[in-house]
Amino acid sequence: MTESPQIESRLRETASGLLREKKVSLFLGYEKATLPFRTAPLFLTAADEAERLVWNPFCSANLAVYLPRLFKAPADAREAKAAPAPPTVGVVLKGCDARSVVALLQERQVPREKLLLVGVACPGMVDRRKAERALGEHACLGAGEDARGNVRAVVDDGTEVTLRREQIVADACLECRAPTPALHDLLLGTPVAGKQADAARRRVAELESKPLDARWARFQELAARCIRCNACRQACPMCAGCKTCLLDQTRPRWIGAGTDASDVALYHLLRAFHLAGRCTGCGACARACPMGLDVRLLSRKMSQEVEDLYGFRPGEAADATPVLSAFSLDDSQDFVTEP
Amino acid sequence: MTEKKIPQASLDKLLARLQERGTVYAPGRGASGDVALLEMPQGEPVLQDYGNFALSPKAFFLPQTQTLLRFRDGKAEEPSPPDRPVFLVGVRPCDAAALLALDKVFLDGDPRDPYYEHFRAKATIIALACTQPMASCFCTSVGGGPGDGAGADVLAVGLDTGLLLRAQTTRGEELLASLADLLAEPTAQDSQEADERIRAAEGQLAPARADDSARRLREAYDAPLWAAAGQKCLGCGTCSFLCPTCHCFDITDEVRNGAGRRVRTWDCCAYPLFTLHASGHNPRPTPKERWRQRLMHKFRYAVENHGRFFCVGCGRCIRNCPVSLDLRTALKEIS
Repeated sequence: MTESPQIESRLRETASGLLREKKVSLFLGYEKATLPFRTAPLFLTAADEAERLVWNPFCSANLAVYLPRLFKAPADAREAKAAPAPPTVGVVLKGCDARSVVALLQERQVPREKLLLVGVACPGMVDRRKAERALGEHACLGAGEDARGNVRAVVDDGTEVTLRREQIVADACLECRAPTPALHDLLLGTPVAGKQADAARRRVAELESKPLDARWARFQELAARCIRCNACRQACPMCAGCKTCLLDQTRPRWIGAGTDASDVALYHLLRAFHLAGRCTGCGACARACPMGLDVRLLSRKMSQEVEDLYGFRPGEAADATPVLSAFSLDDSQDFVTEP
Repeated sequence: MTEKKIPQASLDKLLARLQERGTVYAPGRGASGDVALLEMPQGEPVLQDYGNFALSPKAFFLPQTQTLLRFRDGKAEEPSPPDRPVFLVGVRPCDAAALLALDKVFLDGDPRDPYYEHFRAKATIIALACTQPMASCFCTSVGGGPGDGAGADVLAVGLDTGLLLRAQTTRGEELLASLADLLAEPTAQDSQEADERIRAAEGQLAPARADDSARRLREAYDAPLWAAAGQKCLGCGTCSFLCPTCHCFDITDEVRNGAGRRVRTWDCCAYPLFTLHASGHNPRPTPKERWRQRLMHKFRYAVENHGRFFCVGCGRCIRNCPVSLDLRTALKEIS
């Protein structure tokens, strides 16, 4: 049985209550989008508009991506002085989104006391591309959730099609170890058990089992289709936390802006390295990619390296020191090679 | 306007004939399984059943990465672009119409853009009328239509038994004349079938409010909707990279030890770097100003300066926006 209708009404009550009592000045959630299989982020400031909030299988966006920019102080001292006080933000978080918030808290990109975390136990969100593919040549006119949590879509010939949730759920959800937000101020929905840690490991292991040239070929395949639009970077909450991105620097320009093979490769490798010990596996990058590329693999591999070396999983304990900022004499030194 | 018919059985011959004359790109299933313009020969060309390609064909005319010149020891050399004619088959009418917008930018002024001009002169566009508009499509609201041939040399319309070919330009007329042995005279029934298909597609398109957009946008420069959209916009640039009419570019010199190249790459108004001054000042400091600029350019400045929208209603930006921003909503809200 789906709990979505109950969660949705609790969300609306919660948001309007928090805004009315001025416990938050901004509430981040989801609202209906113009196309099926999607929702749009909603920036709510008026209690009487809380009815716009929705909760359904299409709330896939990771709203944590917006948090760093809400608290970023202007670089210019005079502007910083004139800037309005930072907001107090209520935000709807699934398990993956909450892990992003934890990682941002670890890096002190967002102030905990300004956040009111409304966690929702997540049954897995729909990958719109999978859903569209499942409908074949039929265009979807509208979609919703049925009582069992599956998706019902009305297609262009007027018929209704039921798509089973597990068949159209995002790949990241199939690997999610903690669909229920561990860190929250308020939790809605019955906690959902996480997937075994093996799921993501298997994917990395599958790649690693291949010979070097096969791995390289696979990477090149991805790079050849990448259009360097930056969507994966911009949708990533951890990238949002970065104050300066070397891709945006022009003096010197570290990396060409075009689609030459070396520039595309460098872009993806840099991103993977910068996400080592930071990527929480939310899948926002893959969701945002307009070419439908699964860009998660490299950052997943880097996270696994960090986990194996240091036993650190990003997004788990808000008071932990980020792994690359910490040093312990017990740290593994195996990877250090003599020149 | 010449109207001919190519029977289903002769389609392969037509593509083969074009390949004798140049490089042919036709719709096919690429590595991802999606229909894309692929270089012939390829497995099985798909000539009807697809919505539209993920990428617009603008890269054929404005390559995403183009070396303009190479230099070494104080001497510069311009690489010569490929000289072989190119045939683009199966381009949708919206994407063909987008070329007319790009022509305004690159060919309508002084100087003309020689790089774009070269690619444009080499290309013949055989558009394929659209029979499967998507929920994000709105071509009829911005001056186009699923059976519109503007921007194409030949417009093809799918029939049960083949394709109806309608010449749109002199080049299109010449092409059909040169393929005469493969073509048949269409019957009145063929023309009627084509028109019915186009009308059916038109009927599926929901209107968007683009009317009087220049005036409405002029008055809405300070409207609250820009801040609301800017709050959500991630600044990812997907919209403009996929847009068939977005054409802003950057030119960079890549130099090492006195040698290097000058390269032109796509740029995008959603990026802060796009307007960052050398002084450090940025006239479009936040996503609000950047998102407003994109709409203003397409629906106000283009109308004021070039007399047409710089939007053909292909809907790629709407389908692919990671946060579901829909420019139709903004166009409706600025009343």
